Amino acid sequence: MALCRGAGLLLRTLLPGNPLLFPAACRTQSSVSGVLVPRTSLTSPPWPEQLPPVCEAEDARRQAAVVSTVNGSIERQDYGRLFAVVHFASRQWKVTGEDLILIENHLEAGCGETIRLEKVLLVGAEDFTLVGRPLLGRDLVRVEATVIEKTESWPKVHMRFWKRHRYQRKMIIVQPQTVLRINSIELAPRLS
Amino acid sequence: MVFLSLSCWIRSRGPDRYWKVQEIVKNAKHFRGRKNRCYKLAVKAVRRAFVYATKGRRLKKRYMRTLWISRIAAASREHGMKYPVLMHNLTKSSVQLNRRVISDLAITEPRSFLSLAKVARARQQEGFRAALGDGKEPVGVFSRVVLLQ
Repeated sequence: MALCRGAGLLLRTLLPGNPLLFPAACRTQSSVSGVLVPRTSLTSPPWPEQLPPVCEAEDARRQAAVVSTVNGSIERQDYGRLFAVVHFASRQWKVTGEDLILIENHLEAGCGETIRLEKVLLVGAEDFTLVGRPLLGRDLVRVEATVIEKTESWPKVHMRFWKRHRYQRKMIIVQPQTVLRINSIELAPRLS
Repeated sequence: MVFLSLSCWIRSRGPDRYWKVQEIVKNAKHFRGRKNRCYKLAVKAVRRAFVYATKGRRLKKRYMRTLWISRIAAASREHGMKYPVLMHNLTKSSVQLNRRVISDLAITEPRSFLSLAKVARARQQEGFRAALGDGKEPVGVFSRVVLLQ
């Protein structure tokens, strides 16, 4: 599970090399002097020549700091409105509390029953985001919804026509629909 | 009136022509010209309209995906990354968000999108580090690079 601080730094890639002359040029081989070749997109490989050095202790310290900050704000429940990305009915939905979802199929639950949406991919608040790889734990997030309405869609016309062949077929498609109201998204204070 | 002789060959030629015509013409009421009134013209126009609607429902899915992809590409370029790099590294980090949700996050939740871009960037750097390693040739291999050094 990856955690990131909300107020972050913009990432910029560094341009490779320093142009010594104008227009930008480079030598074919460092051992041969006096032969200059114009700098093109293929003069240097697309990956950076010098990767920034990895300091594992520093990274571990930063990660521990971020985790403790996020844990603290979850325990104090001072994050405000939460949004979540939920996988339901073979689609992904970005939901918050009190919003409505229209699902184009039939659900087994009856009207007025509460449903828990279990496959949560991402949860976010104003200052932090929890990204699941690919799903977040069941004991970490709880998304509850109520079935409000079970209707049918408007009659859609499916028509096929083949010109000059005297072929036409018309079919009316009516699909069952379900409307869910997302009641709440709750976080439990348990991160590592 | 009093009819002195019986009528002959009187029959009903279908009592519901009006409703059969209305079934077609009511779908054409918002069209332009005579095809919103006259049955012969309305039949052709309504048939074309239904066929275009059917085909359009399949094309809409393609257009929406292209739109999402271009929005994600624009948002990732604001953070100094390109679309294929972002998506490939997110897939390698096993983040299974689809393009619709990522484009919605880029529009309404810019900080969450920034965090996804950072995850992808970190995975990209790890990949480079794993591939490049020390920057030296493996032991026992002779190549042009080794000869030039």
